[in-house]
Amino acid sequence: MIRLWQNVRSTRIVVVITLAISLFLNMSSLSAQEPDVKLGEQLFNAKCASCHNASSKKSTGPGLAGVLGRIPGGDWKYNWVHAPQKMIAAGDGYAVKIFQENNKSLMTPFPQLTNEEIDAILAYADPGPKNPIGDKAEKGDGTEKNPGDEEQSIPYFLIIILVIVLITLIAVLRYTRINLHNAMAEKEGLPEEPARPFFAAVRHWMAHHKTKVAALGILLICFLTVKGWYALQGVGVYAEEIHPNEWVGYHPSQPINFSHKIHAGDNKIDCKYCHSGVEKSKTAQIPSANVCMNCHKVIDQNQAGTEESKAEIAKIYFAVGWDPEKRVYTGKENPIVWNKVHALPDHVFFSHQQHVVVGKVECDQCHGDVKKMGTVEQQRPLTMGWCIDCHRTTPVKMEGNGYYTALHEKMKEKYKDQPITVAMVGGIECARCHY
Amino acid sequence: MANDKQYWKGISQLTDETKFAEKHSGEFAEYIPVEDFIGDKAKMETSSTNRRDFLKFLGFSTVAATLAACEAPVMKAIPYVNRPDDITPGVANWYASSFFDGHDYASILVKTREGRPIKLEGNTLSPITKGKLSARVQASVLSLYDSARLKGPKMKSGNAWADKAWSEADAAIGAKLAQSKGIAILSSTIISPSTKAAIAEFSAKYTNVRHVTYDSISYSGMMKANLSSFGKALIPTYRFDKADVIVSLGADFLANWLSPIEHARQYGITRKVGKDKKTMSKHFQFESNMSITGANADERFPVKPSQLAQIALGLLNGVGGGGSASNVMGTQVTKVADALKGARGKGLVVCGSNDAALQLVVNEINKSIGAIGTTIDWENPDYTHQGDDAAVKKLVEDMGTSIDTVIFYNTNPVYSAPMALNFGAAMKKLSCRISFSGMLDETAAMCDFICPDHHYLEAWNDHNPRKGHYSIQQPAIRPLFSTRHAQETLLLWSGNKTDYHTYLQKGWKSNMLPMQHTFGDFAAFWNSSVRDGVSELWPATATQTEDEKKSLLGITKKDKDKSDTISANDESAVVSVSNDSVSFTGGTITLSEATSQLSSWKGGKYELSIYASTALGNGAQSQNPWLQELPDPITKITWDNYITMNPADVKEMKLFGVEGDDKDAVIVRFDQMEDMLDVVEITANGYKTKLPVWFQPGQARGSIGIAVGYGRKGFNEIIDNTGANIYPAVGMSASGTMSYDVYDVQLADAGVEQHKIATTQSHSTIMGRNEDILRETTLAAFAKDERAGNPRPTMHTYKGEADVEKVNLWNDFERPNHQWSMAIDLNSCIGCGACVIACNAENNVPVVGKDEVHRSREMHWMRIDRYFSSDTVKEEEDKKDEEGKGELGLMEMYRHMENPSFDNPKVVFQPVMCQHCNHAPCETVCPVLATNHSSEGLNQMAYNRCVGTRYCANNCPFKVRRFNWFNYTEYHRFEKTNLNPAHDLLGRMVLNPDVVVRSRGVMEKCTMCVQRIQGGKLDAKKAGVRPADGMINTACAQTCPTDAITFGDLNDMKSAVSAMEKDGRKFEMLEETGVRPSVFYLTKVWNREDEKAHV
Repeated sequence: MIRLWQNVRSTRIVVVITLAISLFLNMSSLSAQEPDVKLGEQLFNAKCASCHNASSKKSTGPGLAGVLGRIPGGDWKYNWVHAPQKMIAAGDGYAVKIFQENNKSLMTPFPQLTNEEIDAILAYADPGPKNPIGDKAEKGDGTEKNPGDEEQSIPYFLIIILVIVLITLIAVLRYTRINLHNAMAEKEGLPEEPARPFFAAVRHWMAHHKTKVAALGILLICFLTVKGWYALQGVGVYAEEIHPNEWVGYHPSQPINFSHKIHAGDNKIDCKYCHSGVEKSKTAQIPSANVCMNCHKVIDQNQAGTEESKAEIAKIYFAVGWDPEKRVYTGKENPIVWNKVHALPDHVFFSHQQHVVVGKVECDQCHGDVKKMGTVEQQRPLTMGWCIDCHRTTPVKMEGNGYYTALHEKMKEKYKDQPITVAMVGGIECARCHY
Repeated sequence: MANDKQYWKGISQLTDETKFAEKHSGEFAEYIPVEDFIGDKAKMETSSTNRRDFLKFLGFSTVAATLAACEAPVMKAIPYVNRPDDITPGVANWYASSFFDGHDYASILVKTREGRPIKLEGNTLSPITKGKLSARVQASVLSLYDSARLKGPKMKSGNAWADKAWSEADAAIGAKLAQSKGIAILSSTIISPSTKAAIAEFSAKYTNVRHVTYDSISYSGMMKANLSSFGKALIPTYRFDKADVIVSLGADFLANWLSPIEHARQYGITRKVGKDKKTMSKHFQFESNMSITGANADERFPVKPSQLAQIALGLLNGVGGGGSASNVMGTQVTKVADALKGARGKGLVVCGSNDAALQLVVNEINKSIGAIGTTIDWENPDYTHQGDDAAVKKLVEDMGTSIDTVIFYNTNPVYSAPMALNFGAAMKKLSCRISFSGMLDETAAMCDFICPDHHYLEAWNDHNPRKGHYSIQQPAIRPLFSTRHAQETLLLWSGNKTDYHTYLQKGWKSNMLPMQHTFGDFAAFWNSSVRDGVSELWPATATQTEDEKKSLLGITKKDKDKSDTISANDESAVVSVSNDSVSFTGGTITLSEATSQLSSWKGGKYELSIYASTALGNGAQSQNPWLQELPDPITKITWDNYITMNPADVKEMKLFGVEGDDKDAVIVRFDQMEDMLDVVEITANGYKTKLPVWFQPGQARGSIGIAVGYGRKGFNEIIDNTGANIYPAVGMSASGTMSYDVYDVQLADAGVEQHKIATTQSHSTIMGRNEDILRETTLAAFAKDERAGNPRPTMHTYKGEADVEKVNLWNDFERPNHQWSMAIDLNSCIGCGACVIACNAENNVPVVGKDEVHRSREMHWMRIDRYFSSDTVKEEEDKKDEEGKGELGLMEMYRHMENPSFDNPKVVFQPVMCQHCNHAPCETVCPVLATNHSSEGLNQMAYNRCVGTRYCANNCPFKVRRFNWFNYTEYHRFEKTNLNPAHDLLGRMVLNPDVVVRSRGVMEKCTMCVQRIQGGKLDAKKAGVRPADGMINTACAQTCPTDAITFGDLNDMKSAVSAMEKDGRKFEMLEETGVRPSVFYLTKVWNREDEKAHV
């Protein structure tokens, strides 16, 4: 009876203490989340990411990890961000040094940033010697982590602490119990329970509770298998549906901070205007820079709303070799190296024209609502399972296509009222995509 | 069984069936030296790493690799800055162009992807090649990406080469040319009017310029004979399609003679039989080497080269044109002459010799049988061979005296000239030597300057291969290196600074525009000519047929309609040089001279016949790995040349340790010869070289054959060590014609080790199950019964004998949409191998090299099996047994039955690729379902799913699956020799981006060009129509010169392939296995009276 009571009691204590600790840690984790880092990240992505990495990796400009340790203290950082050319002109030692180190390319001035905002950016980009964001970004070279990732990583940390606390707790309780037990045994004149070291005791316990151990073991294995299975399924998949119809995925920063939201959303430019290969070829094509110039010859820097847009438009001019002052092509072309977002493996043959022209599939079915994206994000898994799921459920657009007339009659006979899906006409056979 | 003939795949098969079977029971013939290629065997044996450690490392590295694979690399995408208007990434552009290398001419379409030429196909508008190509032309796209190409002009200083800028080279050469006493331009045949005009300008600028045409495979003797017979030193066009009786005296007209693509196409027409056509041409061949033309002949007579004289005279006598009765093969010659007489106006005699006397007699025969004007077309003379041997001889005599500067253009005499000319020595007497070669070939290596010409796919040019027929050569890619049009170089040196493109247009404006009547202005005419690639231009009378005219006007424009900029605006005319007035210095010969010469021909004990091989031709593309790895159609040897010799002669020479008289004694040694050949030293015309001896059934007794094009120097380790050069043994007659037959050669044991060769002959065998592989019959039998020689296979069931089609282990599968199928007409297949190269180019098939071929690891998706047949018939032996004369046991009888007559076995070619069995045995054994069947009848292979168990290959009855033993594109062993086109970045440009490059450990095989099927279907879907028959075609069927391969949809009732499926000649390979192949064959029909009559 005593033993039972002890167990119940100790369980209760464990639960209460656990709750208390977790609450505390949660609160502390929430309070540790300073708002300026988040703001800093936004600002960094908007203004700095085209030239700087949040790691130590060099881009157009130096990587910002550890920058606070490098630069002179005081207001230097604010002055530099607000007017770098002034500082170079003034002959500031460190300013001239980094100007020389970076191929004499001048940093774009940001006079509109407040000192707080600059601090926020630096807090994000250079949080100190331990920099998980920087490390990750370095590994992926341009890959960014989702904003949610940092919050998610704290519970893991918590769990580890919890486990340690629990183990300590159990040890303490056990010690107490043995002492109590021994005390009672002494009182009653029974032999003392031998004092075993902890692990020996665990082994002893396990030896005496084989069924429980087996059950626990099986549970553990099942748990790990399921978790592992899902974890493996996610390997190499860069899009996840976090809520129904809400996806997050791979969205690397691009050399030009091109916004589909502005072009396809606000200005309602048809997708096919730029991605002109979509009906003619297997590739939709990333438009060549001369396509940009169809509009941006007119919508030039003077028309750009913000300083950033001016800088972005200047990059197109640099790429196609356009002199906006004299309004002539100089002939110096610099190809734009985009980061590919929607990438299929080389062993898959995928044809846009098949899907868009014959299958009449809308762009957003596979690319998500691009019209709302600032930076393009992969919003569908693009895995083979995902392809095949669609092929299994999508009816073939047979009406009005002479190619399908005879086949349609045959299939109607066989499948009666069922819709004829892509899979029924062989759309999930290997050699439709793999050759 | 209905077919009592036995077929044997190699002589070794005859010797010891059990040994053969043992050796070939596995797909791969030998022990696999895993330790050797994983690492150092010796080190591994002494290594202290034990199994447990190994497993630990293995486990660790697997985990590490898995973890590392979790992050995908960031991929970059770099679009055009300014996309050219006519390029849509992912869509191929086709440009019409022309191929001419001094040996072969073809009008081609170049498929380019993102600006890179990746595949050639025939131009259907061309009346000469009609959309067909040969293996050599197909392979020429790979030569564009050869890393051995010169990157810019070079100048020799001392013994070392220095790279120069064009301006420096021009200045240095200009100074040299100004001082020179006499300049010669030595070129192969030039059929380009504009190039000839440029040469004319150069000749006008400098004093004493001589243009000499030198063809390494010369037709000078033929020109001399024609000058004597017809008054024109030209070569007529031959119309094999109009001939009922074809007699060839050593002319390999299907693979090399004059215009092989055209001849093969014409020949193919005459060989087609069907429900409504129960006639075919009759083809007699007298030859010493077994050529593919001879292999296809209805009746082939092996004779020594010297005996052709007697045969020609005998034929002339037989057709009543004079001459004298032949003392060689008298009855046969009479028979052939009678056949020719019977087909007046429909007979044709051709001769491959370069001897004027022999050619003159052949001309007389043709005159006597009324061939002139019917099967021999003098209205449209062929200009593609204009070599003038006598002029070459004269030039060599003058080198160092009146000629001190020679410019070499598309010719390599240091390699290819006969030793008698002593070209190398004459070269040294010159004060200035200039080469336009794009490679550092043997001649260029001895030059002072190299001014590399573009590759033909980078260059503009025009061609006039035939009277009235013009074609434009259009560049399909910007020059890869700092090379320059040879013509532009010549023009520049003569002070004309026009670029060649403009010069070409000028020439067409002044000379070709007036010859046409369709276009009003030059721009329209020029653009049309460039777009179509070919134009028929006739100054006065038009003789092309209505059909040909229509084909020119009602054009289906597959090629890109691209407007070329017209820059020829100034009115200065370009000189017009007609190919009709070819300079020829060989003189003439009279018939009496000819007959007396021929009567006095004396043969030697061994006579050598030097031939151009089917793969390499004259050797201009020796460095091309696709062609090197193409098995010779007859011997199936790759990467080598050799002496072909009749087995009986081998016995006589006591090679391979053969002793004694017993025929079996010869055979006994044959199983060893598959890989190791005895090497003999041959002395011919004073030239000595060492070559291995290959046993060649059908080779005329007392004759040997050696192919040119091998033994090159200066390319890379592999090409330089491949074969030996035999060109120096070519004879030079007193009158200055080159003779490719040497009547007296000495052979002696070279006393060196045996030579290893790589042949694809005996592996991938069908394990002796011969009866159901090939069907053949005679024309007479076929005329009576379409199913002659093609009985339905039956199988014993509990209900009695039943047609195998009725007995089935499996359910039939639905094919609702398409059912792709392929028909192969064995009667049309000439075994030329064009399909194999087309397949290589289309499907990124890797080259594996001699050593790997030797290990039976060639990767070709299709092979052309060559079966020799014997005439020993089982029935005769049975009859002997019944009469009590039989003395052979059953085993002995079979053994004897498989002994062919070495003197003249019949040959059948059979292309074999994946048969796309509807009940495929490979599919049922794949543990990972990497190979399975599509609803369109295709046997699909998912490379990424394949784990490399090779069960499928073992279970394939046709042995058509190929395994990637290595990562051929990356593995260092294939790197240093640059033999694999996909190995360097340059070579990779030839790869087809629509087809995956397979990795190590993966099985691959013919896909029936599924990428082309899918592409064609998509086009049809977009247009909203069913694909028309022929719209979707495989690469092999597209290029086949004889249309032996037909691809199509069996569900389309109107398709050609579904008509063939109902043909009486249809049979399937190994039909009794019930695998239901999608590929079927049509019986081979021989135009012979009775097979047994010709042993």
